[in-house]
Amino acid sequence: MSNFRIFAPLAIVMYIIVPFLFSGNDYLMGMIATALIIAGIALAWALLGNLGGMVSFGHAAFFGVGAYTSAVLTMDYNVPVFLAMIIAGFGASLASVFMMPALRLHGPYFALAILAYAHIFMILATEMTSITGGAAGLLSIPNLPVFMGFDFGTKLGGYIVILNIVSLALVVYHLIRRSTYGLALKAMHDSELATRIVGVPATQLKAIMLVVSAFITGCVGAFNAHFINFLDPEYAFSGEWTVIPIVAAIFGGYRTLSGPVLGALFIYLADQLVFKSLLPQGHQLILGALLGGMILLSPSGLLPIITNMFKRFSKKGDAQHVES
Amino acid sequence: MLEVMNLSAGYGAMEVFWDLSLKFEGGKTTTIVGPNGAGKSTLLKTIMGLITPMSGDVLLRNESCLNAETWQRINEGLVLIPEGRLLFGDLSVEENLIMGAYPKNSRKSLENNKENVFNLFPRLKERRNQISSTLSGGEAQMLAIGRGLMEEPKICLIDEPSLGLSPVMTHEIFSIFRELKEDKLTIVLVEQNTNQALKIADHVYLMQAGRVALSEKRENIDLKKLEDFYFARN
Repeated sequence: MSNFRIFAPLAIVMYIIVPFLFSGNDYLMGMIATALIIAGIALAWALLGNLGGMVSFGHAAFFGVGAYTSAVLTMDYNVPVFLAMIIAGFGASLASVFMMPALRLHGPYFALAILAYAHIFMILATEMTSITGGAAGLLSIPNLPVFMGFDFGTKLGGYIVILNIVSLALVVYHLIRRSTYGLALKAMHDSELATRIVGVPATQLKAIMLVVSAFITGCVGAFNAHFINFLDPEYAFSGEWTVIPIVAAIFGGYRTLSGPVLGALFIYLADQLVFKSLLPQGHQLILGALLGGMILLSPSGLLPIITNMFKRFSKKGDAQHVES
Repeated sequence: MLEVMNLSAGYGAMEVFWDLSLKFEGGKTTTIVGPNGAGKSTLLKTIMGLITPMSGDVLLRNESCLNAETWQRINEGLVLIPEGRLLFGDLSVEENLIMGAYPKNSRKSLENNKENVFNLFPRLKERRNQISSTLSGGEAQMLAIGRGLMEEPKICLIDEPSLGLSPVMTHEIFSIFRELKEDKLTIVLVEQNTNQALKIADHVYLMQAGRVALSEKRENIDLKKLEDFYFARN
């Protein structure tokens, strides 16, 4: 199935139908925006994990660094919110530069090293009290602003901002995947030695991916800070910001472009809206069972199931067409 | 063209060869023969910068290239066709060739070079969309050679191309090398198939246990004597 046939309907639903139907329901809009936050991290993670073959357990670090950078810049230095969110992306990229020694490691060793790095940043946020407010956290982080006559500080406004961030991340992901670099990264999955033999500067390429992935995650983290107006180290660097996006990316079909986004929307919304109302305590159990079943029945994720449904549907349609 | 001076290298604490000096002349084919474990493949990897030598020097056009990364050496025209092909198994035949043209210098003439490779190996053209892990041994070797040629080599290091191939396929591969040789490509060929390798060589080195046991012009080599050397019969 071509990208267009997935993304055209997805874009229509997300940009027109969702705001049209739910813009009055702040609770639901907030939920969907949070699902998109996870989608943004999941995309950034997949950029590194799928294309680069580097499984990261440390994306919470980029998320937290981005969140704190933007919060501190807007609160202490009066930087405009949208500008601060972009600078936050660079802040997270800078954090990723410090993690680059981990690129010498492979597989589980890389994953663990980056998990350790992530923890360092959480400790820094807790201990640097004069800047970050320490364990007590930061309160009353500025809202998203009124911009060109539209108040982005509302739930609907926030939804539109994060939707645009995720869309941009998708475009970046697509362009990288399609380029020679994307092919080289895919080749690196196969054999890193072989890529070096044909002249790919493998370490440089991995480093660039890490920086780009951190940038996207940092912007998403900054958005979250202004969306909920509150930060503390435990929350901003919480392992959940790593784990749920990974689950979403793999659940959705992490070798695909739209998989991470669909996975995030499905997992978060199903969990919060459906499973939580069925089983207020321990609703994660249902999610866990679903994930387990999914890995057994459709290891490559949600997307192949949807694609097959579409195919069957359109085949039926064709058959009817012939009959008539 | 390419020269190795007093080179020592190995893996970790284990040295594979010591104080090795060899010379590869431009436009000529040099063959390195020798038994398993003599250090032939390690030598090629060291020349490519995949292994850092412990001492000695590698001279490319009379200049040391030890400080250059592998990809920089490739941009200078130094290309390795590795032992065991090392193809990208998940990629198609064509994508493998595109990966060969990854270095900036060769990316511009990608389409042209691809046509050349397809002319040289029509079988690869037929299978251009096939995933490369499903190729037969001979086709895989053709693809490895094709991928190497996409890098626009001036000096081509070829490691054990006949490994695991049938005699017919080996013959076919060597006839390609003969064509490349006629195009004045500098070839360094590491082979166990002494018979075939000697036929196209201008100069022959015999390596044994990490040192050069024999260095002779092709015309002065007596195959029987070489085999005596090879099997340490004297």
